[in-house]
Amino acid sequence: MTSILGYEFPEDLFFTRDHIWVKADGDDVTIGLSDFGQAIAGDILFIEMPNIGRVIAKDEAFMSMESGKWVGRVKAPISGTVSEANEELEWETNLVNSDPYGEGWLAKIKASDLSELDTLLRADSPELEALITEEKAKYNK
Amino acid sequence: MRLFHLRSVDWLDSQLIYHAQARLGIEGINILAPSTPYVCIGYHQNLAQEVDLEYCKAHDIPVFRREVGGGAVFLDGDQIFYQIVLHKDNPLVRGDKADLYKLLLEPVAQTYADLGIPSQYRPVNDVVTLEGRKISGTGAAEIGDSIVLVGNLIADFDYETMTRVLRIPDEKYRDKVFKSMRENLTTIKREIGQVPTWDAMAGPLIRNYESIFGTLEAVELPDEVRREAEVLKPQFLSQDWLFKRRTAGKQEGIKIATGVNVINRAHKAPGGLIRALFELKDEVIFQVSLSGDYFCYPQDTVSRLEAALEGKAVSDLPDLIEAFYQDEDFETPGISPQDWVKVLVG
Repeated sequence: MTSILGYEFPEDLFFTRDHIWVKADGDDVTIGLSDFGQAIAGDILFIEMPNIGRVIAKDEAFMSMESGKWVGRVKAPISGTVSEANEELEWETNLVNSDPYGEGWLAKIKASDLSELDTLLRADSPELEALITEEKAKYNK
Repeated sequence: MRLFHLRSVDWLDSQLIYHAQARLGIEGINILAPSTPYVCIGYHQNLAQEVDLEYCKAHDIPVFRREVGGGAVFLDGDQIFYQIVLHKDNPLVRGDKADLYKLLLEPVAQTYADLGIPSQYRPVNDVVTLEGRKISGTGAAEIGDSIVLVGNLIADFDYETMTRVLRIPDEKYRDKVFKSMRENLTTIKREIGQVPTWDAMAGPLIRNYESIFGTLEAVELPDEVRREAEVLKPQFLSQDWLFKRRTAGKQEGIKIATGVNVINRAHKAPGGLIRALFELKDEVIFQVSLSGDYFCYPQDTVSRLEAALEGKAVSDLPDLIEAFYQDEDFETPGISPQDWVKVLVG
């Protein structure tokens, strides 16, 4: 586990610049909101779940989350087809805050182009550290 | 920063215009009001659960689902809307959500002060009078590459219709929501005894926003925004959009203001069904009404329990109810103190 400015980033995951984490197991990809992402989002009250079977393109907004009457979008970190949504969140949306890398996962995607992972950031990369440093200042976190 | 001072517009345009602007990335502040009333639900809400659609249909009140968060609201021409569209890279969009809400809502609080109603911004997204009553509804969203914040100056408010358009299971519950709303949400008219002219309200609002954005000159709304609004219209009026429901998360009861909910909860205890209807304000319960299908001795003890719960913190209820049972020699076959805790605390 890499820690950047007090936020945890598991080394086996990829990260987008929008603070979505990505775990790839072959072309089965699980995504969620990173520790830093949940911190800036605040307590999540509602989550719009994607339809299973929906075909999504990388960077397409396909889910949303709401906290403090603020609706934020979740952009697809990779192209593919939505294969599963975390139904447990229906009862406990705050799993996204309390266990962002575990029970608080958001959705699973059958990836259509794994080479897109190369555009994402790794936990130990200087780019991720620079991003978190910049964002931490921006969001006063 | 451009000011689109549109004044009274078609009800649908009062929503579609900012959705179109946000998609096009056209920054600006809109000041407007709908020419006719409608009900507007939050992005993540379940329409059929939240709104009494039969009532709305019978009274020709249209319904709209916005892409902004928050709850169901009854909107009409007695509310002046402010709608701010900023590009996400605008230097003003710094800090966390609370920082942006603070930046954009302090001018609203100042506007109320200018109208003779001392008010303040209260985190995260409220404007309240000094007595703590909500006086502006707000919400925000990321739409395309834009950040949108919307809210209203409430000149007057139709509490009765607002309470009527919500889907509420019984009249007792509706009455409690009405009373809680009257108590916790106020208006310009109630505070100063009159409704000022449009310019007397919009003028200070614009001036106060100039302290953030610099001089605001009113300009015509670009044609491309109106064209985009027309393009969006069928989608926003479609049944699929209005009734969409793939949302996780739930809000218990009816939210009146931040930290204020009217809750109606039932619990099946071994001795029968028990029900609690109460106002929960900052984790303190008020106006508790307990009912159900049970036996108790002596018979008036439930009303004494209701009185004992008034104004008590939720966290104190387990000990309080336990002590009440012991002190009052209270018997409710098949219903334990824990069952009351269950129906009151959840």
